[in-house]
Amino acid sequence: MPMFKAPFNGYSVKFSPFYESRLAVATAQNFGILGNGRIHVLELSPGGPGVTESIAFDTADAVYDVCWSESHESVLIAAIGDGSVKIYDTALPPPSNPIRSFQEHAREVHSVDYNPTRRDSFLTASWDDTVKLWAMDRPASIRTFKEHAYCVYQAVWNPKHGDVFASASGDCTLRIWDVREPGSTMIIPAHDLEILSCDWNKYDDCVLATSSVDKTIKVWDVRSYRAPLAVLNGHGYAVRKVKFSPHRRNLIASCSYDMTVCLWDYTVEDALVGRYDHHTEFAVGIDMSVVVEGLMASTGWDELVYVWQQGMDPRAS
Amino acid sequence: TFLTRVLFTEATNEAQQGKLESVFKNSEPIREDQIQNAIKFLSHPRVRGSPVIHRRSFLERKGLTKEEIDEAFRRLPDPPPSSQTAVNTQDGQQVVSNVLQPQGQIQAMKPAPAPVVMIPPPSLLSRFRWYHVVLAVGILAASGAGTAVFVKRSLIPRLKSWVRKVMSEEESDPLEKADAKPSLAEEAVAAAKAASAAASDVARVSQEMMKTKSEERKNFEDLMQLLGVQVQEMKSLSNNIRYLERNSNNLPKVYSANQEVYSGLVKTPAERRPYANGSNIDYDSRSARSTSPPAPPADSSQPPHPKSYMDIMSMIQRGEKPSNIREINDMPPNPNQQLPNPRIAPKAKPWVYGQPPQDESSNGPWWQQKNPRSADFGYETTTARSIGIRNETSTTEPAAIQKQRSWVPPQPPPVVMPEAAEAIRRPKPQAKIDQEVVAAASDDQSGVSDELQKVTKFSESGGDGSGRFEITEIQEETEHQHIGQEGN
Repeated sequence: MPMFKAPFNGYSVKFSPFYESRLAVATAQNFGILGNGRIHVLELSPGGPGVTESIAFDTADAVYDVCWSESHESVLIAAIGDGSVKIYDTALPPPSNPIRSFQEHAREVHSVDYNPTRRDSFLTASWDDTVKLWAMDRPASIRTFKEHAYCVYQAVWNPKHGDVFASASGDCTLRIWDVREPGSTMIIPAHDLEILSCDWNKYDDCVLATSSVDKTIKVWDVRSYRAPLAVLNGHGYAVRKVKFSPHRRNLIASCSYDMTVCLWDYTVEDALVGRYDHHTEFAVGIDMSVVVEGLMASTGWDELVYVWQQGMDPRAS
Repeated sequence: TFLTRVLFTEATNEAQQGKLESVFKNSEPIREDQIQNAIKFLSHPRVRGSPVIHRRSFLERKGLTKEEIDEAFRRLPDPPPSSQTAVNTQDGQQVVSNVLQPQGQIQAMKPAPAPVVMIPPPSLLSRFRWYHVVLAVGILAASGAGTAVFVKRSLIPRLKSWVRKVMSEEESDPLEKADAKPSLAEEAVAAAKAASAAASDVARVSQEMMKTKSEERKNFEDLMQLLGVQVQEMKSLSNNIRYLERNSNNLPKVYSANQEVYSGLVKTPAERRPYANGSNIDYDSRSARSTSPPAPPADSSQPPHPKSYMDIMSMIQRGEKPSNIREINDMPPNPNQQLPNPRIAPKAKPWVYGQPPQDESSNGPWWQQKNPRSADFGYETTTARSIGIRNETSTTEPAAIQKQRSWVPPQPPPVVMPEAAEAIRRPKPQAKIDQEVVAAASDDQSGVSDELQKVTKFSESGGDGSGRFEITEIQEETEHQHIGQEGN
C-alpha cells in the first residue's frame, strides 16, 4: 500500500468528500512544538499503488487539523497553531492562497469539522476552551460556545441533525450542543482523564464514541448517558483519534500513542477486530473515506501517510 | 402573510425537530441528594476561593446536570462580607454568564479572572492612599506641633538669654539702653524671622515629605502591580499543578529540563498559558508549546517520546530556537478573493439511506479493491457475521445501492426562504422575540376594535340627528384601516 513521506510530523489526514482519490494532510514542524506547518493535498495514482502530492501550502505555524468543504470541491479549511483558521482553494496556486484567514481564537485551534448535512458551516475547537461556528463567506464567527473549563480537542457535527454537535475536552466532559440553544444541552463526564476525540455513529444518530488519555474508547448513547454502551480496551497509551465508519454501522477506527491503528466492533464481546502497526511513532491522524468503502488513511509523527484498504497490510506494495 | 408563512414553517420545523432533538437534552429530574452534595462542596472555604469555572467543572465531572449545578449555586448561603466581596461579585457575574449567554462573553470571561486578582490591589492601594493622607496629616500636625514645641523650648530660652545678655550689657552700658529697646525690637523681628524661617523650613520639609510620599506611593503601586502579576502567575501555576495532580499521581518536577522525567515533557497545554515555567520563552509573538498529548495516567508507563522530540523540548527549555524554522507570510494575498464556484454537486452520504450499503467487491482502481480474505486480523469472522446480519435486516434494494456511485443525486433544493433557514440557525431567544412580534401585531388588531367602540360612544354622547351618519362614516374608515393604523 502506498505511503507518502512528508517533511514534517503528521497531525491529521482527511479524505475529500468529492474525489475518490484525493486526501489532505496537516503537518507540523518539530512535532508541533514550535515551527512552521504545511498542508499537503495528495492524489492516489490510478495506474498502480502510489500516492503523490498535487499541491502544498506552507504556514507560519503548525497545522493541527484540516477538513474539506462539503459545498465547494476545491476548498480546504485548516486549523492553525497560532489560533487562526485559514481557507485554501486548491484550484489556485500556492501564491494565491490562503483565500481567507480568521484570527479569533486566543489559542491553538485543534480541530475543524464541516457540516455534512447543511453544508454551509463549520466548527473549530480550540485550546482557548471554546468552540466556534463559522461560515466560509462570513468575515467573523457566527457563534462562540464557551463552557468547557479546559482545552477543547474536537467538535464534531451529528451526521443526521444539522444543528447538533458534540465536543470533547480536556476538562474530561463530552458536551452535546444545539446551535439554536444558548448553551450545551448535555454534559457527559465520559472519562476520568482528558478526552481527546469523539465521533458520531453515522447510522445511529444518538450514539457516539469518545477516546481518552485513559487508553480507552467509550461508546455512549445520549438517551441513557449515565453509563457507556461499551468500553473498548486494547490500546497501550492515550487514544488520539476515534472515527466511526461511514459504511459499517458498528465499526470504529482509532489511532493511539502506542503507534497502532485499531478497528473495533463495539457490539461484540471481543471488540478488537483489527490492528495495524505500520507507524513507527505516535499515530495521531486517521480517516475513513466516505466515497470509497473500506479505504482508510493514517498519519503519525513518523512523517508518514499511509492509505490502504481495510484487510490489507498498509505496508505491502 | 409572508411573515406568518415563515414563522409557521419555522414553528413546524421546530416542532418536528423538537421531538427528535429532545434526545440531545437532559430530561432527568433534579436529584436532591446531588444538590446537597454540591452545596457541601461549594460551601467549603477552599472551594470558595477557587474560580467558578473550576467549581462547575468539578461538579460536571461528578455527573451533575446543568440544572442541578445552577440550583446548588442558587441555594448557597450568603458569601462572607467585606474583603471577599470583590472576588465574589466577579464570580457571581461569571456564574450568570455561564448559565445565560456564553456566546458574547468570551472576551469577558478570560479577563474576568484577571480583574479578580487585580481589583484587590487597587482597592488596597486606595485604602492605602487614605491611610497615606491620614498619616501625612498626622505627621504634618505632629511635626508642626513638634517644631512649635521646639521653637518654644529652644528659641525662647535663646531669646531669653539674648535678652539677658543685652540686659547685662545694658546695665554695663547705659548708652546701650537705647539700643536695648531697638535690640529688643530687633530681637523680636529676628525671632519673627526665625519663626518664619522655621515655618518655611517646616513647609519645605513637608513638601519634601509629600514628594517622597508620592514617590513612595508610585513605587508602592508598581510593587503592587508586580505582586499582582506574580500572584496571578502563582495562582495559575497552582491550578496547573492541581490539574497535573489529577492527571498523574506521581508529580515529578514538571518544569525541570531533566529529560528523564517524561511527564515533565508531556506537558498539558494549560502550562503553556501563563508561559511562566521558569525559563521565560519569548519568540516574537509565538511561544513554544508542548504537544497536545496530556500526561498519561499514573498507573502505566509514559509513552516513550521520540529522541528528537526530547532534543527539541530541551532546546526550547534552554531558550534556544530550532534552526529549521522559516519566516513565512501565510496571510491571504488577496483578502477579497472570491470563493470558487462549486462545479461538482455534493454527493449524498452513504448513511442517508438509513442502512449501510451492501458490501461489494469492486473492480476499480487499487484503492477500491478489497481483500476478500482479510483473515489476518480475525476480521473475516466479524465481516461474515455482520454481512449475515445486514442481509437479514437490509431493506434497501441492491440495485439502487450499486447505482449509488455512478448516480449523482440532484442538488438539495435551494433554500427558498433564507430568512427561515437563518432564523432556525439563530438561538432560541430570537425565535421567541419573533413570536412576540406576532402577538403584538394581533394585539393591535384588537386595539382597532377598541378604538371603534370609543369613537362610537363619543359620537353617541355628543350627537344629535347627525350622529348616526358620523358613526357609519367612522365605521367605514376603520374597516379600511389595517394593522398599521394611526390613532384618531
